[in-house]
Amino acid sequence: MTETRMTNVPASGAGLGSGSSIGSGTGPGIDSTAQVAVTGLTIDGPAGVVVAPFDFSIAPGETLALIGESGSGKTLSAKAIAGLLPAGFSARGSIALSSATIELPSTDAVWRATRGRRISLLLQDPFTSLSPVHRCGTQIGMTIDAASATRLSREERTARITQSLAEVNLPAEVARAYPHELSGGMRQRVAIAAALATDPELLIADEPTTALDASNQGEILDLLRGLQEKRGMAALLISHDLGMVRGRAEHVLVMRHGEIVERGVTSSVLNAPSHPYTRALIEADPSLTDRSAGVVRTASGVGVTPAAANADSATGDLVVATDITKSFGDKTVLHGVSVTVGRGETVGIVGESGSGKTTIARCIAGLEHETSGVIEFDGVALATGRASRTPKQMQIVFQDPYSSLNPMISVGRSLKLALRVAGRPASDLNGLLQLVELPTDFASKRPAELSGGQRQRVAIARALAVQPQLLICDESVSALDVSVQKQILDLLSKLRVELGLSILFISHDLAVVRQLADRVYVLRHGEVVESGPCHDVLNAPTHPYTQALVAASIHEAPTH
Amino acid sequence: MSSTEAIVLAKLPRSRRRHPVAVWLSLALLGLVAFLVLFGNLIAPDATAQSILDSLLPPGSPGHLLGTDELGRDVLDLTIAGAASALVGPVCVALGSMLLGILLGTVAGYLRGPIDFIIGRWTDLLFSLPLLLAAIVVAGVFGAGYWMTVLLLILLFSPSDIRIVRAGVMEQAARPFVEAAQMLSLSKARIMFTQVLPNVWSLVITNSMLNVAFALVAFSSLSFLGVGVAPGTADWGRQLTDGRAIMIDNPAAVLVPALLIIGVASAANLVGDWLGQNLTRTGRS
Repeated sequence: MTETRMTNVPASGAGLGSGSSIGSGTGPGIDSTAQVAVTGLTIDGPAGVVVAPFDFSIAPGETLALIGESGSGKTLSAKAIAGLLPAGFSARGSIALSSATIELPSTDAVWRATRGRRISLLLQDPFTSLSPVHRCGTQIGMTIDAASATRLSREERTARITQSLAEVNLPAEVARAYPHELSGGMRQRVAIAAALATDPELLIADEPTTALDASNQGEILDLLRGLQEKRGMAALLISHDLGMVRGRAEHVLVMRHGEIVERGVTSSVLNAPSHPYTRALIEADPSLTDRSAGVVRTASGVGVTPAAANADSATGDLVVATDITKSFGDKTVLHGVSVTVGRGETVGIVGESGSGKTTIARCIAGLEHETSGVIEFDGVALATGRASRTPKQMQIVFQDPYSSLNPMISVGRSLKLALRVAGRPASDLNGLLQLVELPTDFASKRPAELSGGQRQRVAIARALAVQPQLLICDESVSALDVSVQKQILDLLSKLRVELGLSILFISHDLAVVRQLADRVYVLRHGEVVESGPCHDVLNAPTHPYTQALVAASIHEAPTH
Repeated sequence: MSSTEAIVLAKLPRSRRRHPVAVWLSLALLGLVAFLVLFGNLIAPDATAQSILDSLLPPGSPGHLLGTDELGRDVLDLTIAGAASALVGPVCVALGSMLLGILLGTVAGYLRGPIDFIIGRWTDLLFSLPLLLAAIVVAGVFGAGYWMTVLLLILLFSPSDIRIVRAGVMEQAARPFVEAAQMLSLSKARIMFTQVLPNVWSLVITNSMLNVAFALVAFSSLSFLGVGVAPGTADWGRQLTDGRAIMIDNPAAVLVPALLIIGVASAANLVGDWLGQNLTRTGRS
């Protein structure tokens, strides 16, 4: 073992020297006071090295952020440190904790003694990381049992569970709830309670808030931060979101294609990035650059707003939804919501999950039957449901690019089907692919061969194939990385100008809506609490909820 | 171990690869039996011809490689001729119940509502019928017969196909690509059979291969009990019944058809499993 370690250290030195700029005084180098020191961490995949050797250390109570796009190797690195690499991958290097040192590759027995006790892992998705069939208290209890040397009495365990829940600001009753009875934010709190119940030295948080709403994201991160300082616990925060990292991590590592390209103190890396990739990441992040809606329009090469450009050709509103209510059983999710979309206008609907923003879009699309209210399209009232609507009126681009394309049908077949529905010749296929900036040989590919961004382009192409008057984007960029997000947003702003599209854009992400929308509605608990021109509403919100949403949005512009 | 981790472990892809050699052997055996079904008549034209003079010859007798049975029928010829009833019936059962499963399962899973309720109660009813008892009653009322058995087994096998297809369709129907098809105003039938069904194929095919195996065993059991094929017909299950009494004189008369039943049933199982794994890989797991 010692020999393996000896050979690894020089290799890691070489890897660092080639790909990074270390400020020796400020960078997270190896130091003796560190809670966690990882040396020469290398990950080998089926086809060679996938993560080049790198070192880092984290002081007690501090957070190190590991930043990169999906596919950069950041999650693999986290899994290697938790001993959870998928089959076919193996890690080299060593992990020094204050209580023990683990030499990689290690045995299952060592990992069982370490994982969950000294090192805990918090996962991205609070919807799947908890077992649906166990009460939350039982799940926290399982971690406590696994970590305690002696068998706890019933009362003791209950007391420990209550204490764990209190730490994450949850009432004791949550112990008796099943995960499906809780909101996403509450579930992630339960997951945190379970991960911290064993008092680990290192917490690895893998995109812990990506699946949550903006207002929840801030709360969860601040909660983690507080717990971490109280316990003197080191944390490794994995994220693709630079805005989230600001103010929440002391040091940052930027990873690309399995190599660390930049490292240092968070504020200096974000304010003065030295590597071009870091600069590109910062530019792509909507929250870190001050691009108000007006600037985007200029950037897209058109000096006037699309709404103004189309105002001459047609007047009046395309969609007028008046006083829409919608109940599922005895639960009412929309209480009289009215939304209008003008011709050529892009309208944003913002709100947390559960606010009803998706439901109103689905009612307009006819995928959901509104309980009451009137939806007029082009001046004609539509009966509820799909039957009264034609494909040419409106199309939807859904959130999840992985399930919105039929996995068994090639891209070309999907698009040709849509073209046929619109009565267009199949020869329009190439033009359609070019419209969404995809190479024409993509027609023969299956969705499984495409990346998330490429799939979303195909989904947009399918929606545009029928030449709809209204495009509904239901969280269409939420599942994508920031840099891909920017590309898709740029594509949408290009298309709405070229095609004179009206767009109804649903999102929980204020930064994204700010980039695209002319007007915005803020929804809360199924009611519109504020609406108006995007710039006014988001920069000078009048309703307390909008103010909270804007403030809670962790995306803050750089301070300098 | 924390609960969150346990979930991660459960999510990791288990390397459950079927040994390719076993799959190739299974395919070879199924191929051989299929060949015998097609050309058995040419190889063993008078399999059921009886000859009192040659009765009960042991394996290895001149002209009778596997010996003869009580009635002097050549065991090898009989086994070759029996391939037809061993494979044709089960394949028909699997195809028939697959067809019912696809039709009723897709309709129930996609349309839901009252149609789903009616189809659901119908499958409950069929599930509650014990196979052997039902076969004996049907044989008593309508007379025993091979094709009657095929029809009965199609009916009795269909509820599991219906439920499997229904569950698969329900899972797929909630996916956004189905809603995207609805946005194109495609008809319900078109969405069901061109958009949803292709994603359920791997389930359907795997299950049908398993049905072939189960049906083969069911046919053999029924023949063994005397409610399947008519006496005197070349059939592996029938051979088991007839051969029981002469196990000491000619063990091959029982062992060869018994091993073939086990072999073909296992082969169908293995190939079904292998097909299922390889077909799901093309879709989203």
